[in-house]
Amino acid sequence: MGWNIFPMWAAVVMLLATTGATIAVLKKNRNLWAIALMLLAILGMAGFIAMLWTTLERPPLRTMGETRLWYSFFLLVAGLFTYYRWQYRWIMLFSTVLAGVFIIINIAKPEIHDQTLMPALQSVWFVPHVSVYMFSYSLLGCATLLSTMALARRNSNMDMAIEKLLYAGLAFLSIGMLTGSLWAKEAWGAYWSWDPKESWAVATWALYLIALHLAPSVMNTKHRWLYHTTIVLGFLALQMCWYGINYLPSAETSIHTYNQ
Amino acid sequence: MSAVFIAGCSIVLSVMTELCFGSFPVDIFHFPLNIFIVVLWIVLIAIMYRNRTARFMLSRQATWLSLALMAMVGIVLGLQRKPSTTAWPVAVSLLFILSHLCFVILRGWRNAKGIRWRFCLTHVGLLLALGAGFWGAPDREQWRVAAHHYPSNEAYTMEGKQRFLPYTIELVSFHMEHAENGAPTHYDANIKVDNKNVTLRVNHPYSRTLSEKIYLVSFGKTLMGETYAVIEIVKEPWQWMTATGIIMLIVGAVLLFVQGPRKTENLLKVESLKFNDDCFSLMSEGK
Repeated sequence: MGWNIFPMWAAVVMLLATTGATIAVLKKNRNLWAIALMLLAILGMAGFIAMLWTTLERPPLRTMGETRLWYSFFLLVAGLFTYYRWQYRWIMLFSTVLAGVFIIINIAKPEIHDQTLMPALQSVWFVPHVSVYMFSYSLLGCATLLSTMALARRNSNMDMAIEKLLYAGLAFLSIGMLTGSLWAKEAWGAYWSWDPKESWAVATWALYLIALHLAPSVMNTKHRWLYHTTIVLGFLALQMCWYGINYLPSAETSIHTYNQ
Repeated sequence: MSAVFIAGCSIVLSVMTELCFGSFPVDIFHFPLNIFIVVLWIVLIAIMYRNRTARFMLSRQATWLSLALMAMVGIVLGLQRKPSTTAWPVAVSLLFILSHLCFVILRGWRNAKGIRWRFCLTHVGLLLALGAGFWGAPDREQWRVAAHHYPSNEAYTMEGKQRFLPYTIELVSFHMEHAENGAPTHYDANIKVDNKNVTLRVNHPYSRTLSEKIYLVSFGKTLMGETYAVIEIVKEPWQWMTATGIIMLIVGAVLLFVQGPRKTENLLKVESLKFNDDCFSLMSEGK
């Protein structure tokens, strides 16, 4: 049992999630079957993560592939939560497709190597820092999906959901960044050292803060596209922070190299 | 638009200064000069707030601009191989953000009805964390020591300059474990700091004083095959201010999640007052 069974396991999870999401799109009201199937898919994903954790004898949060696994899991959770709370019929399908993309990348390029956990990652901050970040990424991913829909359909009424997802996502993003800062002081002696990953984290955080401060002024006006665009830009910066920096020349000097 | 104009002019001037004179001279602002400048800066902001001479710093544009500057600083530094953290534009941007935060905090307690605790925790927390990093940077010192099996007080700065510590460091023993692939999974060093035995490992530094911590960062082997530990000493007198700011921000972030967005109608009411250009006159009239 281990990573080799992931393709089969993921196929079952995706089948359950896609069926649930399709039912949600087809039915006008909140549908119990859609929720139950999505819940089963989430439990399946959680089961695989738990199994991997046991097999590796360490938290599966070290490599890029492992963080993608958590992101797929949290995307399904965030999609279900948004559907359950605000009944947007399309959101579960979007979050399932996005989770599917990251699952396919993981199958093609797993990057889950061995049981090794380097000394720098052996810290009490490791699990909360990474899992909180991944959860915030998924919430902000859902906010981005809704913002993109709002930009495409000018008269849509999704701003309340977008704002609540933004607040929750930004709260977790801040906690992730700040716990990382406390950890950095214990590991490297500096709360903040403007490492490329940290710099992009600041850019992401600032863009979401702009969206948060824009909301009261532009919501319910013809300038609300500015709010949605900033959320989309924030998500692009977030992609840079998560894995985009690995493709930049500045990555050579990064101290966050264990994440590749 | 005055906020945009003033910030824009400052950034252009700072870029020109950077090109003509090089980076911001951080080192000359160490204690007690930085304390003197901080006091002067706070007094100046308080006077400008009372005299209403810098009302643009309370505008919504100033908030967006501060955050846009923060995002730009992050993007520019994130693209550089060796981030120029002491560049003039970075220093000016951070000073603008800090000054705007001060203005907003001075006004905020009165206007942030319903979310006062959240407002204070997030804004004061950010001011403390960012302010300690900015004003305290000149007081931060960092040295590296190669700890061998004999006492030595020889240390080197990150730039390679030799320094002598007021105490000695000696490696007593070094222990390391490997994974099957040969990668180190655990290592710790038992060292003697000023005749006191201390065990160091990654993520577990030793606090020698309230402002000084000793870290185990790496290890190496001499030509004779003897293992030595690479020790880093970080002296950061402002670290408690940063830590306080970070903890305040974490609590503020929890409240951000728990309380969520304010109700739209209250929000619009508060925001219209908050960002009204004539807020000073309204406040002075007690309306």
